[in-house]
Amino acid sequence: MSEQRSFEELQRELEEIVTRLERGDVPVDDAIALFCQGETLYKECVARLQGAELQIEELVPREPGM
Amino acid sequence: MPKVEHTLHGDRKVFTVSSFNRGIGMHLGRLPPVWVEGEVTELRRNDAWANVFLTLKDPKTGACLSVTIARRTYDRLELDLTEGETVHVAGRAEIYELKGELGLRATTIERIGLGDQLVALEQLKRKLAAEGLFAPDRKRKLPRVPRAVGILTGADAAARGDLVATIGARFPATTLVVHEARVQGKGAARAIVVAIAELTSRTDVDVVVLARGGGSFEDLLPFSDEAVVRAVAASRVPVVSAVGHEQDTPLCDLAADVRAATPTAAGALVVPDLRDLESALGATRRRLGLALRSQVDRDRNRLGRQGERLRAAPRLLLERRRAALDRSGARLETLSPLATLGRGYAIVRAGGGVLRAADQARPGDLIDVQLAAGSLDATVREVHAK
Repeated sequence: MSEQRSFEELQRELEEIVTRLERGDVPVDDAIALFCQGETLYKECVARLQGAELQIEELVPREPGM
Repeated sequence: MPKVEHTLHGDRKVFTVSSFNRGIGMHLGRLPPVWVEGEVTELRRNDAWANVFLTLKDPKTGACLSVTIARRTYDRLELDLTEGETVHVAGRAEIYELKGELGLRATTIERIGLGDQLVALEQLKRKLAAEGLFAPDRKRKLPRVPRAVGILTGADAAARGDLVATIGARFPATTLVVHEARVQGKGAARAIVVAIAELTSRTDVDVVVLARGGGSFEDLLPFSDEAVVRAVAASRVPVVSAVGHEQDTPLCDLAADVRAATPTAAGALVVPDLRDLESALGATRRRLGLALRSQVDRDRNRLGRQGERLRAAPRLLLERRRAALDRSGARLETLSPLATLGRGYAIVRAGGGVLRAADQARPGDLIDVQLAAGSLDATVREVHAK
């Protein structure tokens, strides 16, 4: 699911979850569910950052005579 | 000047090489003075020489022409010419007799390329500005964390290397899509437009960097080409322009969303620092944990208070009842005759009934007098009826 989503989207969703929880008006069952969701997002974000190596792709010019 | 002499071999007129060259020279000298346009190459000037030498080159065909100008004349012009500049040279054709080489004896040189190009550039700039291509409200914010960064670069190892090194050090969790293109000379503008189109057609490319190191005014001209400037302005994703040095302002700089002084600066602009990002994520996660804990704490406290209220409820009820009972008792007490007796009154009974009037008894009757404490048995001696 999150494979197509950008890092920024994941991070934004995590931030929204934290903000909702911080408001403190969420029923406790929902709060726990939100927390788990937040943890998953956090791990996904970290996984995207860690161990990544810079990928370099070369686009070959299509014009002749370059 | 020596005359052009020939010798006769029979009826054949034969010239020496010197005579021939001199003769051609005399013919050339009758030609009118002309202006010749070309690019300056092989400029040679020496304080010890009487003349300054240079070669004019036709940029289209590569044809060359040797130019000689008196050093004093040249110095007075204060041209400070550099190789590749386009100039107009006024002079007459001449031949260098010793070598038989054709040349141009210059009387003056004017720099033309720069002036014309600057004027054209200024006009283009005004036109595009009037269209709003450089308007500040067109500028887009750069993505904070790009999935892929498109890089347009020439065969310029330094600019490309700086950019790759900076991005690699700050944020290796991205992809660089590099498009090398001809960035100067003929066909460069077209190649740049094509490269921008190819880079922005990649759906994962969230930002494009134009990376081109320093160069002469002319070298950077393709980045002021109208088609290039329009392509930058119309780009699907934000464009960072890192073209030339700080003092250069090619028009693509004005159309780009952000201008970077160097490729290194561009690298720092287009990707975040991984460490900053990681610590921000860590902080968010701590907030997540804290938010849940305080939510749970709040709920637990509320539950505790509710429990207390629940347990306190029966006792409260009892106390309330008891208080009500106490009040009833008090009221009962005030109504009790015993309380009246306490104040000194007595109840007199006779024959099982309470006496309320004297004539209810007769002399000799036995009566019972009840006091607050104890009672008396008495006999009526006399009756005084009212």
